[in-house]
Amino acid sequence: MKAYLKRQQKLFSEAQQQRLEELNIMIAGIGGLGTNQALQLQRIGVNKIYLYDYDQVEVSNLNRQLCYGKKDIGRLKVEAAAEFLNEFDLETEIIARNEKITLKTEVPEDIDIIFDGMDNFESRFILDQLAAENGLPFIHAGIEEFFAQIMLVLPESKLRLKDVFTGTDRKELPAVFSPAVTVTASIQVLEALKYLLQFDEYLNEQLLHIDLLSNQMEIIDLK
Amino acid sequence: MALEVKFYSLFRINLKTKGIEYQQESEITITELIKKLDQDFEGYFTQKLLEKDGTIARGTIILVNGKNIFHLNKLETKVSDGDIVTLFPPSAGG
Repeated sequence: MKAYLKRQQKLFSEAQQQRLEELNIMIAGIGGLGTNQALQLQRIGVNKIYLYDYDQVEVSNLNRQLCYGKKDIGRLKVEAAAEFLNEFDLETEIIARNEKITLKTEVPEDIDIIFDGMDNFESRFILDQLAAENGLPFIHAGIEEFFAQIMLVLPESKLRLKDVFTGTDRKELPAVFSPAVTVTASIQVLEALKYLLQFDEYLNEQLLHIDLLSNQMEIIDLK
Repeated sequence: MALEVKFYSLFRINLKTKGIEYQQESEITITELIKKLDQDFEGYFTQKLLEKDGTIARGTIILVNGKNIFHLNKLETKVSDGDIVTLFPPSAGG
């Protein structure tokens, strides 16, 4: 076990900790959710994180995208994020891929799960299809104002993101700010770990709805 | 046994309730259910769930027993006692 992970040792069995340190993660979209996911996944000591984005840092990103500052405006997100994460000098390998996710994207062969860091459903449907075609689990999250939802789509699941969220994209940009984005990304990481480390309970054909105004988290059954 | 309608997100905050139950032995369509909800919530759901031409508005989800009505019979999907209808605007941002 890596020395800096000692304080989380009691949370996991030896096998789980070993598995955790072997995990290779793909984060698609290094925005609000994606930067928060990357920070958490690096801290808990996964093996490798692939960062996928094709955008550049803009000033409007800075209220929630934690890997960037004013000096990064105009830089490629994946490069700025990789540089920021590598400065911590932890042992997780960070791989930057300046690519737009399409149905032709070649997913690296060593990936264990795909994280949704997108900001619209059209892109998420493509990502979910890519996960299905590559036989990979996919964990979705969406956040808007004080509300969020999380859904884990297992490789064998016939119920895909499109089945639940068809017809939901709107024209206006959703309102998002850092505290709610960070909470959502953290829960997304937790829910992915429960599945990957084989805890007894994880989201299975269920939607986790998070209401941060009323402090309520509820499971909606999709079966 | 009742027809259960559950509200989430802004719907719950705006209406100050988690949902409503109807005794509904015979089947009704989602369009008819929206009319019932409008009577109890002052026209709120027509405004939130439907476009002006009466089609399903973008940006909201209507699930019947966990299934999006887009993949069932849309607004003609039938519900009755024992069914759960879930209504909320999903969060799109990231």
